[in-house]
Amino acid sequence: MIQNTKCECGHQNPVNTVLCESCGKPLIEDQSMEPLEMRYDGVVRRSQRGTKSVIDVVWSFFSSVKVAIYLIFLTLCGASLGTIYPQENTFINIDPATYYPETYGTMGEIYYTLGLSHTYDSWWFKLLLIMIGTSLVICSLDRVLPLYKALSKQKIRKHERFISRQKIVYTGEIKGIQDEKEAEKWVEEFSAILKKKFYRVTTDGSALLAEKNRFSRWGPYINHIGLIIFLLAVLLRIIVPGWYMEQYMDVLDGDTVQVPGTNYYVENEGFTVEYYSEDELAEETIEKGKVIPELFETKAVLYECVENCNDPFMEPILEEVTRHPIQVNKPLKYNGLLIYQMGYEETPLLRSVNATLKGRESGEEYGQFVLEMDNPKSNYEVGEYQLELVSYYPDFKFENGVAGTKSSDPNTPAFIFSITGPGLPDEGEINMYFPIPQHKVIYQEDQVNEAAGSTLVIDVGSMQDVDFSIYTSFLSARKDTILPMIWVGAAISMIGLIMGFYWNHRRIWIRMDGKQLLLGAHSNKNWFGLRKEVALALEKQGIKVEPKSLENEVKKS
Amino acid sequence: MKKNKKWIQYAILILFVVIAGVTLFSSVLSNEDIPEVGKIAPDFTLGGLDGQVYRLSDFAGQPVIVNFWGTFCEPCVREMPAIEDIYKKYQSKDVVVLGVNLNGEPEVTVRSFVNQVGVTFPILLDNRVVSEQYDVKYYPTTFFIDSKGKIIEKKIGEMNESYLIQTVNKLLAEKE
Amino acid sequence: MSLEQVSNTALIVAFLLYIISAFLFVIAITGKKWSDRDPKEHTLRWSKLAFSVTIVGFVSQIIYFITRWIYSGHIPNANMFEFMTLLSMMIIVGFIIIYLIYRSAGIGVFALPVAFIVQAYAMVFPWEAEPLIPALQDNWLKIHVTTAALGEAFFAVGFATGLMYLIRTVNFTGTSKKDRRATRGIEFTIFAILVVVGFIGSVFLFNALDYQAEFSKEVIVPAEESELEIEQVNTEEVKYTLPPIVKPYKSEITSMDSYFGIQKPLMEAPFWMKGVNAGRKLNTVVWALLTGTLLYCLLRLILRKPIGAKIQPILSDLDPEDLDEISYRSIAIGFPIFTLGALIFAMIWAHIAWERFWGWDPKEVWALIVWLFYSVYLHLRLSRGWQGSKSSWLSVIGFLIVMFTLVGVNLVIAGLHSYAGV
Repeated sequence: MIQNTKCECGHQNPVNTVLCESCGKPLIEDQSMEPLEMRYDGVVRRSQRGTKSVIDVVWSFFSSVKVAIYLIFLTLCGASLGTIYPQENTFINIDPATYYPETYGTMGEIYYTLGLSHTYDSWWFKLLLIMIGTSLVICSLDRVLPLYKALSKQKIRKHERFISRQKIVYTGEIKGIQDEKEAEKWVEEFSAILKKKFYRVTTDGSALLAEKNRFSRWGPYINHIGLIIFLLAVLLRIIVPGWYMEQYMDVLDGDTVQVPGTNYYVENEGFTVEYYSEDELAEETIEKGKVIPELFETKAVLYECVENCNDPFMEPILEEVTRHPIQVNKPLKYNGLLIYQMGYEETPLLRSVNATLKGRESGEEYGQFVLEMDNPKSNYEVGEYQLELVSYYPDFKFENGVAGTKSSDPNTPAFIFSITGPGLPDEGEINMYFPIPQHKVIYQEDQVNEAAGSTLVIDVGSMQDVDFSIYTSFLSARKDTILPMIWVGAAISMIGLIMGFYWNHRRIWIRMDGKQLLLGAHSNKNWFGLRKEVALALEKQGIKVEPKSLENEVKKS
Repeated sequence: MKKNKKWIQYAILILFVVIAGVTLFSSVLSNEDIPEVGKIAPDFTLGGLDGQVYRLSDFAGQPVIVNFWGTFCEPCVREMPAIEDIYKKYQSKDVVVLGVNLNGEPEVTVRSFVNQVGVTFPILLDNRVVSEQYDVKYYPTTFFIDSKGKIIEKKIGEMNESYLIQTVNKLLAEKE
Repeated sequence: MSLEQVSNTALIVAFLLYIISAFLFVIAITGKKWSDRDPKEHTLRWSKLAFSVTIVGFVSQIIYFITRWIYSGHIPNANMFEFMTLLSMMIIVGFIIIYLIYRSAGIGVFALPVAFIVQAYAMVFPWEAEPLIPALQDNWLKIHVTTAALGEAFFAVGFATGLMYLIRTVNFTGTSKKDRRATRGIEFTIFAILVVVGFIGSVFLFNALDYQAEFSKEVIVPAEESELEIEQVNTEEVKYTLPPIVKPYKSEITSMDSYFGIQKPLMEAPFWMKGVNAGRKLNTVVWALLTGTLLYCLLRLILRKPIGAKIQPILSDLDPEDLDEISYRSIAIGFPIFTLGALIFAMIWAHIAWERFWGWDPKEVWALIVWLFYSVYLHLRLSRGWQGSKSSWLSVIGFLIVMFTLVGVNLVIAGLHSYAGV
């Protein structure tokens, strides 16, 4: 099919152009009088041009707003599926293959099998996001360039059919206009009125083009640029190794723990919690016996390992780099590393005791030694005695005549020493020791030791000799190098949205043919405001019209 | 249509295909980090109870059994003698057995347990680093690695001697 | 009077004034057909009065807000009562702005009821102010919640005008498939609103009667999950404030007041609804549906025609195209605000408090879904044939999604935001 694309005004338009790029005359001849499709000012978009190769087909697929809408809609539906059950990553230690069926039954099993338990990590969800990104870039490129061209070379005198088919139209005879000169004067006056309303007005004899807030047309594209930067940042965060880190640490009061995967160590110098007092709480809360913490804080010290860092047999040498009291909302920051307060738990655990060696009968004290629960040394020297730690059960149990440990946490610590020294057999005297008094009673420490013929007692003098840790502080270490790019993307996108939604591009065309005034106006949003503006301007020129009556009466078929 | 515009189109489309490829592939890659049957066992270095440093890659060319255990875990304790037997039987055939102690248990506790049971194969002390690397959630977990470093079998739970013999023979058959 | 009483009284006053001004707006429109008056002047006078009453109500609500801020020590947007009240206040802000632009009394006829129904819904929740847990003691949270609520309020105004457009334009007597489908859609929307009203009504009724029932349920904690590594049996208790039609699955009655002569719960929750609270929530939903249906049937019986058809004459003088544009405009105004408040500020706060800016928490996902939905709306608006009724339907559906995000997510899905609990 050969289409004549040359307009009567002499402008040669590309194939498929809707409105002449120059004078605006509708090129696709239909006899209807309904308002014109003014999107992109009727110029042809790249994707709509003539012949199509494979690459053009792909290009026009992604450049279609309809496709973009489908993509957004699919993403929306997909995202909602992921909220039916908790996602895998909300649990720290589960086996998803068994967790979902056990917790949610058959539905859970289906959910897991379909991979919906990790919806947002799934290939199809990522693919959708990438396709949205592609569509954002191609849609924008496909439109913004032609639109820019069309708006920067607008002809002032437009074709009558172009003006009369705008959504806002006024026609009428202006009384007292005799010749071209008076018509030009009228237009001049009208332009002064529009200028007061911040329009940029250009005239061409008795034709006029007034325009304002053209920049708002770029709003959507700036928004899209922001979104693309945002999506790229998210992408880089996933694929560049080392740009994103997420680690969890449980640190007991007084402990130092390595931040996994780094050379940093965190020490918890002390953890404190403050609770709201009863008069600050609601009655119902008090009735339920709930307490609400007002503040919790880890006095943290950050160290960097400087020597012996990966040597399994040497203590790493640490150097303090910074210290900071970490609270929720107030993380420790150092060199891109952020350490957050996640929560805490009351975990009364024994850390160490300063034990005393005594004679069983005499009660005479021979000396003291420090016994650690975490990783005790195997030999101790107390006065004239040597103590060898033969066995240590952090969480002691005694089943079927065998001693063992239930876990590696020092909940029920039990020690077995072999003691040598003055007056003791050479092979050593066996002594069993429970640091926590209740356990001494439960497991009958004294009876066992006496039965074994022990002449010595290990004991703790006072509470000052006991080092307890009451809280475990849960910390998380993060590194998010790309974060500034995320915020920049979000900010640009926001600027674009504000430009696009809080201003609108308004244009008014006028041509006078003799005393016949033809006025058309177009806006991309807020017709109400434009109608009012046009009516007010006309009124100043002595033409009284109801804003509503300016609406192009020809309704859509 | 101008030629250069076409090139821009190509460039943009190729860029997105690359991005899609990298993203989707990287998620596949990240899954590969978790050792599973058929994958190459990740290397690790740990200190042993005997004061030596053990590195998995030092045993390249030999079949390796890596057993994750703890003294607090009953099935681990029960299967120890069976593993010890296998170690003694197959030592001559170059089979390596490494017992990785989990959870950073106190050295004294591990040593006394090892002495009590009479374990002679190397016991390595791990402070939750390697067990996390190997995604060990249940104890005991045992990996059977062939001489090329590939994981042939991953066993969660207690093993008996006949299972061990059968699997070790599989490892040895793989070697030939 | 203590500050707390001043605050609560001011809120109730505001609530009542909103109801009154909604009626005044109705009179402003319907009354112009009364004899003995100039229709134009009537509308002008009455809508001026209605609008002033709204402003007085708004001032009263602001008094509530400030006094509560003073006595509770934190900006009142932390629990469900405070948030929903804030939302209702923001809907009024949105209404005032849109009204000042368009000066159409019609907007008030629907926007004010949306505001006071949201306010009434807020009043169902415990009124008492709670001190904040550490995670919530951050300025970004206040900014995030307030801005998000304002954005959602504009969506609410868009919903109100969109619904008005639909009721105004649908041919209720038409017999074509399209007309009948539109009628059914509108009636369903009205029914959904009545369900909310029914829920609020039944909660207020039984609260006034001081109704109570208690259930206990044994929950078995499997060995792997319990600290002592042995199977444990815990007893969970739940208190019903609505009479139990449905009791939690496998639960025992601890105590129960009888209602309408009924002594025992009629049904038991299905087995897949674990936990005692699931049973309570199901019971609430059943009550809401029941009272909603009752209200709807009653109205239908009294009116003897579709409710929408009865409302239509009130709107007959409004220009549908204006309504369509107002609906679009308020969504267009709300969209950037929502983006800023519910996504960007939320990300900033999440980065500070939850150590990641985005974590696919259900509430976050649903905020994203709302955003995606409205961006679909805005893109579709550009296409031919999507103005008018189709986009009005979208604005109605969009607001349903907003309400699900605010209420449904807490009711159905628990996540990090569950502190707001229902």
